[in-house]
Amino acid sequence: MREILVEPLARVEGDGGITVRIDGDKIKEVSFNVLEGTRLVETLVVGKTPEEDVSIACRICAICTLSHRYAALRGLEKALGITKLPPKAQLMRTLMHMGEFVESNSLHVFVLALPDFLGFPSAIAMAGKYGNEVLKALALKKYGNKIMRLTSGRMIHGENPTIGGFGRYLDRTTLLELKKEAQEQIEFAELGVQLVGGIDIPSYFEKETVFMCCEPGDGEFGVMGDQIRISDGKTVPVEEYRSLTNELFSPHSAAKHCLYQGKPYTVGAIARLNNLGDRLKGRSLKLYEKYWNKRWLKNPVFNNLAQAIELVWCLETIPVLVDAILEIDEDPALVKPSRMDGEGVGAVEAPRGTLYHNYRLKDGLVAEANLIIPTGQSLEDIDKYLRIAVEELLKQKADDQKIRMQCEIIARAYDPCISCSTHMVRIERV
Amino acid sequence: MERKKLDIGLYGFTGCNGDQLVIVHSEDKLLDFFGAANIKSFSLAKSDNDESALDIAFIEGSIANREQAEHVKHIRERSRMLVAIGSCAVYGGIQSMHVKPSWEERFKKVYGNNKLDVRTPTPSLPVGEVVKVDFSLPGCPIDADQFFYVFGQLLRGQTPAMPDYPVCAECRWKENECLLLKGIFCVGPVTAGGCQAVCPSHNLPCLGCWGPVKEGNADSHIALLKEKGYSLEAIQNRMGMHAGAGIPESVKKLLGA
Repeated sequence: MREILVEPLARVEGDGGITVRIDGDKIKEVSFNVLEGTRLVETLVVGKTPEEDVSIACRICAICTLSHRYAALRGLEKALGITKLPPKAQLMRTLMHMGEFVESNSLHVFVLALPDFLGFPSAIAMAGKYGNEVLKALALKKYGNKIMRLTSGRMIHGENPTIGGFGRYLDRTTLLELKKEAQEQIEFAELGVQLVGGIDIPSYFEKETVFMCCEPGDGEFGVMGDQIRISDGKTVPVEEYRSLTNELFSPHSAAKHCLYQGKPYTVGAIARLNNLGDRLKGRSLKLYEKYWNKRWLKNPVFNNLAQAIELVWCLETIPVLVDAILEIDEDPALVKPSRMDGEGVGAVEAPRGTLYHNYRLKDGLVAEANLIIPTGQSLEDIDKYLRIAVEELLKQKADDQKIRMQCEIIARAYDPCISCSTHMVRIERV
Repeated sequence: MERKKLDIGLYGFTGCNGDQLVIVHSEDKLLDFFGAANIKSFSLAKSDNDESALDIAFIEGSIANREQAEHVKHIRERSRMLVAIGSCAVYGGIQSMHVKPSWEERFKKVYGNNKLDVRTPTPSLPVGEVVKVDFSLPGCPIDADQFFYVFGQLLRGQTPAMPDYPVCAECRWKENECLLLKGIFCVGPVTAGGCQAVCPSHNLPCLGCWGPVKEGNADSHIALLKEKGYSLEAIQNRMGMHAGAGIPESVKKLLGA
């Protein structure tokens, strides 16, 4: 019996692993494991005020802290009867969300994923040969962090985005600085797409799947919406998310996996570009047209390239947002709730896929919470692609090292965020 | 004479990884950080990790299953010094919050009757309740400047000096208007400083995420909040939210913990 264990899976956020068990030429087990300790976050927010909930819920994850905050705010605001924010508050929310995409996508593409393809154990080790690229990638990531820090008040878990708007808005000088820097960074982001686009991605594990993402509803490319767009052409209101995500207990990986109509599906940048990529404009559209092809519908490793193209989209979007914010002089006051009882579902795209926060409020306090995170939704597909890859590699008589490396590349391509995994415990299949 | 570089390991247990990310996010200092010491293990950032004897182990996250308890004990055994970083490691974090019903009942609510294997979940504990901790750096997440100061001091064999004042002191230095005086529910007076009073500087109240300040007067703050019209339940919720297992005795009494 051959056993290949990758534990911990390095260069992912959180504690995860991969188990491959092979008996002769037969696979006994292939699974992506979530080893993270349980926190029972949904039970911690019960009885708390909406503001307290937001402060607790964002701490599920440090990378997608603002996506969690945004989804929580949207869910809670719907429950509180706050249906529309003043334009300046909404624009600032989009700006903070862009900051997280720049930070998270650049961290994943250049620091976590790229070393695999260039044959290094880390981005630091890569710096010898690719010094310029590593420094520029770190500068881009730093720019994303800067937007997050300035809009949210702190690099991680900033409390400034709150129920009804923001505690404080950005001044003109800061906004203009952010705009200028976006324009300076875009050149490297385009080079980054070329660098990632030049990598050969093997095709032997390719298979069709389903992709899901938020439908912005305005005909534009975007990362937030009140409907979900599915690659089979359907659009479903976020309130019906349970019919899409169907959480189920899975004996082999123990996470609550998700299935759509009994089938595994994938969320994240690749889903967004597959479903909405033709809505991009300008430089990001040119790159999408150059690099997108039908293999993207079958191969999750293109997620790295999809994230790189999204970085260009973010850097094109930020100056437009800044200009729109600058047109509004007055900082709006926080919008007050119109009711204290109600239910709301907030959905946003986190960098690694669709994130749902569903709350029921009673007398102004959280009575019930249900959170569905992106990595949980992609887990069935991660397992599926790992299994196909191992089956094929066994036919090719690949050694353990090759199998291990391919499995790591596939799992890592999903940019799994294991701290986020609110519903995960591992059970190993024997 | 060049001193031998110290062997360092960074480990993440249960939490959001935010403390390790604060380090990864310090782009300007990252290459220096990797250069100043021998970073033997840091699985968030690299895959060629060496799990042998260490001079200093930095631990993020709380201990929330039996396997993590074993792992942290093993790290302790091979480390000269062990440092808890972040409020999860220091106080157990939000997952150690005193809430009702019991952990067992809440666990069942989330996972149902499904049998869990390999990992054996346990109620979340601060690292210090499982192994001896030599130095604690709280924060949710930790502050980058404070971490690199502590890191530098420890590399030189010095004991870092930590702020022993509440968030209020930093808030005054920033000349913010006091939110409590406006009737807003703020726990700055009983929360450890170090964050530069970030939330009050954004016109938002302190929620206590750095844990209690040493010798903070929780009783007097509870009395003040009651006087301002806040219910005991609201006070318990707010003061118990981020301090985990580190809540002051008087709040523990309120919570019946």
